[in-house]
Amino acid sequence: MTLLHATAISKRYGGLMALSEVDFRVAPGEFVAVIGPNGAGKSTFLNVLTGLTPPSAGRVLFDGRDVTRAPTHRRIRAGLGRTFQHGRLFARLSVLENVMTGAAIRTDRTESQLRALSLGMLDRMGLVGEAHRAVGSLSYGQRRMVELCRALACGPKLLLLDEPAAGLNLGEVEQLMARLTALRAEQELAVVLIEHNMGMVMRLAQRILVLNFGCRIAEGSPAEVQSDPAVLSAYLGEGYGNAQH
Amino acid sequence: MRRYHSLLAAVAILALGGLLSLVLADYRLRLLNVSVISAIAVIGFNFAFGLAGLISLGHAAFVGLGAYTLAILSTAFGWSPWLAIPVAILVTTLFAGLIGYPLLRLRGHYLALATLGLNVSFTIVVTNWISLTGGTNGISGIPELRLGAFAFNDERRFLWLGLVLLALCAAFAVTLQRSRYGRAMMAVRDDETAARMTGIDVTRVKITALCLSAAFAALSGTLFATHVRFVAPEDFNYAHSIIYLAMLIVGGEGAVAGAVIGAALLTFLPEWLRFLGDAYLAFFGLMLLAILIFLPTGLVGLAAQLRRLGGHREAETTS
Repeated sequence: MTLLHATAISKRYGGLMALSEVDFRVAPGEFVAVIGPNGAGKSTFLNVLTGLTPPSAGRVLFDGRDVTRAPTHRRIRAGLGRTFQHGRLFARLSVLENVMTGAAIRTDRTESQLRALSLGMLDRMGLVGEAHRAVGSLSYGQRRMVELCRALACGPKLLLLDEPAAGLNLGEVEQLMARLTALRAEQELAVVLIEHNMGMVMRLAQRILVLNFGCRIAEGSPAEVQSDPAVLSAYLGEGYGNAQH
Repeated sequence: MRRYHSLLAAVAILALGGLLSLVLADYRLRLLNVSVISAIAVIGFNFAFGLAGLISLGHAAFVGLGAYTLAILSTAFGWSPWLAIPVAILVTTLFAGLIGYPLLRLRGHYLALATLGLNVSFTIVVTNWISLTGGTNGISGIPELRLGAFAFNDERRFLWLGLVLLALCAAFAVTLQRSRYGRAMMAVRDDETAARMTGIDVTRVKITALCLSAAFAALSGTLFATHVRFVAPEDFNYAHSIIYLAMLIVGGEGAVAGAVIGAALLTFLPEWLRFLGDAYLAFFGLMLLAILIFLPTGLVGLAAQLRRLGGHREAETTS
């Protein structure tokens, strides 16, 4: 069974192929990492999956429906969630209100249900004490956790995380990993993780997709990818991968 | 808690306005009526500008469309103004929805220019469609509003009606602002992409905000028409749109109280500063600049800052 199925996704910017014929599948509850050097097309790929950037070619199926041309908010309502590389919160809303905006995706929830659900989510992420603060007064790490809470409050089946550990200190990264693991133990939540922190990727991911210059250069379990010559060459330079042969 | 806030806004308006209606003399009452009518328009403008962040400079066109619809229906067609009010609101809201689809593809300064153009076009159309609007002569003889034998035909009586409507509008606006719909509008203003990422249909939220603002503008316009009982093109030219914007900025954008305070202050200020003569405009410009630079959240923001400062002092003395 497939939750997300992207086939032959290409994105061209003028003469630059940001993505070329990338195939990608995610099963329900699966944890997949997408890695690659800077400029490999990882964020563009997430933008295509969430509908922020239309692909030049290819198809995106989500939960059995073709969403290639669907606007972003429809995909989110269908169960896709995402956080951003640099954290994007609603600056004029409090922490709680930010999360409530996510929870309001279900229109049948009353105001008090929204509040209770959002407070519960903040509690699980260790942020309930900050609920009534302005987001501008939070630390960088806290802001990123609030964004994650907001995305989770939408109740996604698949969560796309764009470098969630960037800018976090070691303790915060440990916390983030522990909370993601705990969450996935309780509910069926598939995750696609873009991350440069290889320790995090290797510990969490069941499968890894490696992109370079917009192309898929490898895919497999963490162990397979770690020893793949193409991957080593992309990360460590031309000679290295070839020298392994 | 939320009910309490909207109730508080309504009670404050009725109590303060009611009190003033008993102590003020005729000319001041007239100004107060103008304030109340403007305040309804500015509360509406706050949905578009303050909450959803749509820089619109055409709000007076919606006020004018409401006023002219009532004027035409009640004079040429002999409708009761009570019946013409909801129809005028409906017509204006539909118009805003229709024009919103193409207009709201634009953002920021482009939207400001396009809405300014809308306002200028409105003035040109009502000036030149003489058979319908009377051109520059305007439309006179608009019937007064009356309930049975009680006619709202003097300043004090009209003010009572205006205050009740303003209180209802303020209570509605406060309730909406604190609901998921208000939060969605603010989310769209703060970050459209992140708003989409929480399942918000950004286009729909923007059009709703514009329609709401137009509906309030139309109500304000119908009150203007039944208060002055005469409408002319220059009552709704783009300068009035800029005044609505100034009222909201001075009072405090994003806040219902700010809309009401700003509307009252900018209606009375020219009277208080009459001794300045033509220098008033220079003063007005400088005041607006000073508020934009030093008080970007307006007078309501200043009050909140002072309260916080007072709160800190209290905390210090008690600890």
